Amino acid sequence: MLWRPHHLIRARPNFDFLGKRKIAMVLSTVINVASLVGVVVFGLNFGIDFEGGIAVQVRAKQGTVQLEELRSTLGHLGVGEVSLQEFGDASTALIRVQRQEGNNQCVANADKVMKRRAGDGWGVKPGPAATGDVEFTAPRALDGVSWRDAVSRVGLTVQERQLPRGTVNVAKIEMTPEQRAEWCQQVAIKLVEDTIGNNYELRGTESVGPKIGEELMRNGILAVVATLAAIAIYVWFRFEWQFGVGALIALLHDVLCTVGLFVLLRLDFSLTALAALLTIAGYSINDTVVIFDRVRENMRRYKKMGLIELLNFSINETLARTLMTSGTVFVAVLALVLFGGPVLYSFSIAMLWGVIVGTYSSIWVASACLVYLKLRPEQLRIDEEKAEKAKA
Amino acid sequence: MLNLQRWQTIAVIAFTALAVLFALPNVLPAVVLDHLPGWYQQSRINLGLDLRGGAHFLLEADLRSVLNERLTNLSDSVRGELRKQQVPYKDITVEQGRAVNVLLRDESQRAKAIEAIRNVDPSLAVSGSGDTIRLAYSDQDLFRRKKEVIDQSIEILRRRVDETGTIEPTIVRQGDDRILLQVPGIKDTTDLKRKINQTAKLTFHLVNEDVAAAGPSANVPPTTFMVPTREGMQELRRSNPKAWDEIQAANPRMGPEQICRRYQPQCLPVFKRVIVGGEDLDDAKATFEQQQGGRPIISFTFNASGGRAFCAATRANIGKRLAIQLDNEIISAPVVQSAICGGSGIITGTFTTQQTQEQALLLRSGALPASLTIIEERTVGADLGADAIRDGTVAALVGTGLVILLMLIVYGPVFGGFASLAMMVNMLLVFAGMSILGASLTLPGIAGLVLTVGMSVDSNVLIYERVREESANGRSPFSALATGYERALTAVIDSNLTALIAGVLLFGFGSGPIRGFATSLTLGLLTHLFTATIFTRMLLSFWVRWRRPTALPI
Repeated sequence: MLWRPHHLIRARPNFDFLGKRKIAMVLSTVINVASLVGVVVFGLNFGIDFEGGIAVQVRAKQGTVQLEELRSTLGHLGVGEVSLQEFGDASTALIRVQRQEGNNQCVANADKVMKRRAGDGWGVKPGPAATGDVEFTAPRALDGVSWRDAVSRVGLTVQERQLPRGTVNVAKIEMTPEQRAEWCQQVAIKLVEDTIGNNYELRGTESVGPKIGEELMRNGILAVVATLAAIAIYVWFRFEWQFGVGALIALLHDVLCTVGLFVLLRLDFSLTALAALLTIAGYSINDTVVIFDRVRENMRRYKKMGLIELLNFSINETLARTLMTSGTVFVAVLALVLFGGPVLYSFSIAMLWGVIVGTYSSIWVASACLVYLKLRPEQLRIDEEKAEKAKA
Repeated sequence: MLNLQRWQTIAVIAFTALAVLFALPNVLPAVVLDHLPGWYQQSRINLGLDLRGGAHFLLEADLRSVLNERLTNLSDSVRGELRKQQVPYKDITVEQGRAVNVLLRDESQRAKAIEAIRNVDPSLAVSGSGDTIRLAYSDQDLFRRKKEVIDQSIEILRRRVDETGTIEPTIVRQGDDRILLQVPGIKDTTDLKRKINQTAKLTFHLVNEDVAAAGPSANVPPTTFMVPTREGMQELRRSNPKAWDEIQAANPRMGPEQICRRYQPQCLPVFKRVIVGGEDLDDAKATFEQQQGGRPIISFTFNASGGRAFCAATRANIGKRLAIQLDNEIISAPVVQSAICGGSGIITGTFTTQQTQEQALLLRSGALPASLTIIEERTVGADLGADAIRDGTVAALVGTGLVILLMLIVYGPVFGGFASLAMMVNMLLVFAGMSILGASLTLPGIAGLVLTVGMSVDSNVLIYERVREESANGRSPFSALATGYERALTAVIDSNLTALIAGVLLFGFGSGPIRGFATSLTLGLLTHLFTATIFTRMLLSFWVRWRRPTALPI
């Protein structure tokens, strides 16, 4: 034999886990309340997936990214709030621009882009009515096809029937305010591209319009609620209702704690972060189920044991595997944190934290809930009697 | 019992071999792949846009305007028909996005008015009472029309974006009124947007029957030019793919005459004069002939000026062929049977239903039926994708290494080794599964794989810990293994099903790259139920029979 296996825990340990349940409850409550307060007071740092807006990854053509210089250049661009962060290494950065509204500022920006890209004779201005209409002017009369090419310079896609008939040098493009707002994201990208394009290479751009952002947000919330409910119901059917409630509380606890981490570290809350939340929910229940499974088995075997004693016994029995299963996922996620690159960073950090919180909650939240929910009242009484005796 | 029955062992081995087979096209060099059947070549994992670079658009079709326009047209037709039938009316108004309201002068004319309206469109839902008639399209009709608009838009987008036939865009419908367009390998989207805006050119020409009758050697007068037919081009594509590629790749694009001269596909001589252009075509649809057994035909309608021009041209050329040219091809050249006046006509021929549908689609493909707004755009440069691949690969390798190390330390070389082997087979199964499904591997998908690595050994942990317990309780090695596997099973299944629930819901609600994550995670969890239980059990039972250990090295 090459080497002997190393047991994480030698003999079966005998920690009094649930004896500390009051401390754990206080700790969990504090963290959860803090997370809630954090979300309400500071808010989540929503990525463009949910907020709408623009994200551009840039790399300096030479040297490193001049964050300060970029910040002041882009800050006065008329595209609203711009945030910058280093992304990966010092020569790359992520620029985030707030969601563009379809206001006249945006049309003025389009005018700037048009002039820069096509020449001074070109212009864009808002249409006369209070709709989303936009008026394009050209230095010479153009036919429909040329107009189509011209407006695509500012990222506008139009339908044939929106184009002017005949050969004219002013084209009014009819749009609803919503359509204009969607188009304005494109305008902002072009403007940023024109402004910093000399010194920076655009490696990737993303733009999410107002409409899709709201939708993704709604779907995201639905997904979390549906997942938690489905898991809780599954546990309820496979075990007893107390187990289902315990699992649900533990899940809520884990999700809230993770959301709290996002608030604390100002991590980008994007679609991948949502994926992390759901995965944490699906994963943290693993340990819980392993403990519950053992509790169920032991309840049949030791009918005369006190509930707390039985839970402690079960947790201790399964402790080695709880630590080991969490350990394997922990090291895998650690590799993601260390080497997965900037795009996955938020996701990986959240997962890493989720693995820790999930293990903790399996023991001190899910199992402790079984005590508070009076899983076996008659067995709980045995515990109380023992405690009385010990005091006396 | 620990031992698997013989057929089980064979099944496990066969299953694994099958997985190897289906994962193989991912790593085979192109030279070898070219000699293998097409369905097998298809069994590959596509790299997602975030890894290979490219552009991703979500477009929204403005279906409301389409409906309003349709209602406006309907109100015009109803007005005309009522006038023709001499039914006096006070007013005809369009209720935006809903219906057309007709206000009659005389209530007693109601029945006659409704009859007239039935002439216009018998499928309309008619309601209202007294002197008002409310006309709306049925839900069924609206649904069908919506689908038509989206399908048509997709087809037109495909033609416009993929005119060169080389970039393999993904264009799919999403939800009710959205279209997802993914174009790999491009970074600058300005050109792509220009293409999206580009209209296919549709024109009607008369065929020069004199030249056509004289055969291929005839002199082509300057008023006439040769244009390849659609069938001709498709035949060329089949018989001479190289020529086809050359035509598609040519920049500037080849004219029809040039193509006819150089490659000599089936061509038709047509007069250069354009009788009607596509901008005058309002609609074209596949339908069936009223009489004569209901052959599939194509019916089309022109606007007023197009109708007049078409009427004059057909009246003067009965018995001759009228060529319908789309871009560089003649998609159809039916014989003019009679003068076609009144703005609409039909194309008959020996068509199948599918052919008429295709042709109608092509006729309509001049203009996009609804305006498309970009509501989401993501582009990834190729080098950014390369970075992501590198990061993902390193993370996956390091993660796998760490997990294997941990398993080897804790469970020793035999048990830890078997679990690691099972985990690697599991990865192979995931790759095979993704290849068969033709799924895309995204960066979050790689993260899903790394997580799968960590989670798939978990079931082995549960089993091994149980075996340790049973062993400590004094069972013989063989019995400890057998009971360990048996008793750990409920915990394994329960704990994995919950994670599966999360994975499936994530797939359902998620979009884009998140789906990639959900796909790899869910597949990994499913397949590992096989590798962690049956596969390791097979390995261990072989090992036990071979070594006959007196104590388990666990």
